[in-house]
Amino acid sequence: MGPRILLVDDEQEFVQTLAERLQMRDMETSAVFDGPAALAQVQSHPPQILIVDLKMPGMDGIQILKQVKQTHPGIQIIILTGHGSEQDKILCMHLGAFAYFQKPVDIDRLITAIRQGYETILSNEQKTAPCDRYPETGSWQP
Amino acid sequence: MIPLHRLKPAFWDLPDTAGSHSGLNLKRKWKLIVLVTAILSLSPLVIMTLVDFSLTRRTIETEANTGMRTSLNTIAAMMSASLAEKPMVTGAKTLWDKTFPHLNTGMHNDLFLMDNTGRLLTPSYYYEAFGSRTILDAGLFTGPDGIVHIQAPDGTPLLAGYARVTHTPLILVQLRQADWLRDLWLKPRLKLLWFLCASIGFILLSIMGMATFLVGRIHTSERRRIEALHHEEHANRLASIGRLASGVAHEINNPLDIINQKTGLIIDLLTLGKQARPDQRLLPLAEDVLEAVKRCGTITRQLLDFARHMEPCVEQVDMEEVISQVLALLETDARDRGITIHVPPVPEIPEFACDRSSLVQIFLNLGENAITAMGKNGTLTIGVFHEKTDLVTITVSDTGKGISPEDLPKIFEPFYTSRTDRWGAGLGLAITYGLIREMGGDIRVKSVMGKGTRFTLTLPVKAARQSTSDGSLQLPGADMPVQSTSVSDDTRGDLYAKP
Repeated sequence: MGPRILLVDDEQEFVQTLAERLQMRDMETSAVFDGPAALAQVQSHPPQILIVDLKMPGMDGIQILKQVKQTHPGIQIIILTGHGSEQDKILCMHLGAFAYFQKPVDIDRLITAIRQGYETILSNEQKTAPCDRYPETGSWQP
Repeated sequence: MIPLHRLKPAFWDLPDTAGSHSGLNLKRKWKLIVLVTAILSLSPLVIMTLVDFSLTRRTIETEANTGMRTSLNTIAAMMSASLAEKPMVTGAKTLWDKTFPHLNTGMHNDLFLMDNTGRLLTPSYYYEAFGSRTILDAGLFTGPDGIVHIQAPDGTPLLAGYARVTHTPLILVQLRQADWLRDLWLKPRLKLLWFLCASIGFILLSIMGMATFLVGRIHTSERRRIEALHHEEHANRLASIGRLASGVAHEINNPLDIINQKTGLIIDLLTLGKQARPDQRLLPLAEDVLEAVKRCGTITRQLLDFARHMEPCVEQVDMEEVISQVLALLETDARDRGITIHVPPVPEIPEFACDRSSLVQIFLNLGENAITAMGKNGTLTIGVFHEKTDLVTITVSDTGKGISPEDLPKIFEPFYTSRTDRWGAGLGLAITYGLIREMGGDIRVKSVMGKGTRFTLTLPVKAARQSTSDGSLQLPGADMPVQSTSVSDDTRGDLYAKP
């Protein structure tokens, strides 16, 4: 079983299609369309990989990145945006993002990053007990 | 010999460059300045000289005449006393021969005695015929003494001073050439006149020089003002284009990725899906769409590169190493096209510091452009010169087809491209220009159709970061470094001359 992924983007057509493509590659993927929904899902059903757009109405990607890194530092966050500048990239990487992609993204590069993020999680899990690290994840076992 | 056209000020014949009225106005201004200043400064000089002239003349004439009369009167008085008891005419002659034999010195001082009938008693230079009665009209000499203008028998104008010898019919006459007096005052004055003329000439030259300088300054500042206005307008226009471009690029990226993912899904469905026998044409079609998306992605990325404002990391840079890195990147392409890359020895510039990646980018952009311009066969020359301590000059010259004078002013504008292949977004030189301006440098271009193009960059040795006030991109425009070279023999020669 692949990693659990949460996609956050206000472009509904985009996230749904991307989610479908990731699912076809054996990744458990769900999609939400705004920041609050994403945070709620992170609370209720935390993913391992979070893919976030930067520019969204209401809550933007940077805020989501900050909040999720505070509450769930173990989640690997990938930024996927059409609006990124070099400063945004530096800021996101500084805030703890795992990777940063500019749209349009090549699916293979995205998947490579997802796998790398997943492997990082797995190697972290081996060092720490999963239940200590992710108390909310409940029954999930790597 | 000094060529006259070099002396001519720049504003004289230039109604076109600085605007048609301003050129004419400047010429008129110059004339007005010269005229007014010349009148103001020369008229007192001339007036004073003229007054001095006539005063001197009058003084000298008066003095000379007074002297003449006094001396004549003295002699007359002496004769009058001596002749009181002697027979008049013979006595006078005897007295004259005895007392004044040497007084008559000829043409310049013709002193003689005559009686009041006009008969000469002693010899005269001008009235030689002694004893003749016809010659000198005694009626001219009316008073007891005086000075009158007469004419000699040979027509010479003469000045005649006379004094009557009292108690006798005798008149003592002294003749001098009329211009004797003029000689007395004019000759020294003429020397002064030369000096005056020289001074007037010198003053006029100075005035003209000053006026040329002043009007030249006006002309220069006027031209600068017009250029500045023009450039500002240009820069503003380009800045808006840049902002628009980056905005468009950002907005296009989102729908572009929808196309990307949807097409990707179609491909996934066709390749990973469980559909039995999909139409054979579908997969290549979907891949074509993906290829087109990639192209769009390249263009939007270039646009964002162009608009990006990255803090450059200024570090010590080894120019030679940078060039060898660039050469490594350009070599394959150049070799395939039969193009020679020539790099003269690079001077050591130990303290040279700048953003290394920007420098590489600049070299790559210019090098790639040059290779594209040459097509097949040619020479690309990259020269580095360190002649001024604080500046590095870099030239990138090709032997390609050149840039037409109409296109030359546009080459640094974003989206300008002459490339017909589909990958050129026309941002290479705009980005290059932005990078060079960020480094505090400058770029100029010279091109001759059919001969080639040379870009000349000047970079400060210590990179001074120029940050734009709004933190946005640095765009071409403010002083567009374009120098158009028309195809004429005198410019052709220096195109490839080393600076």
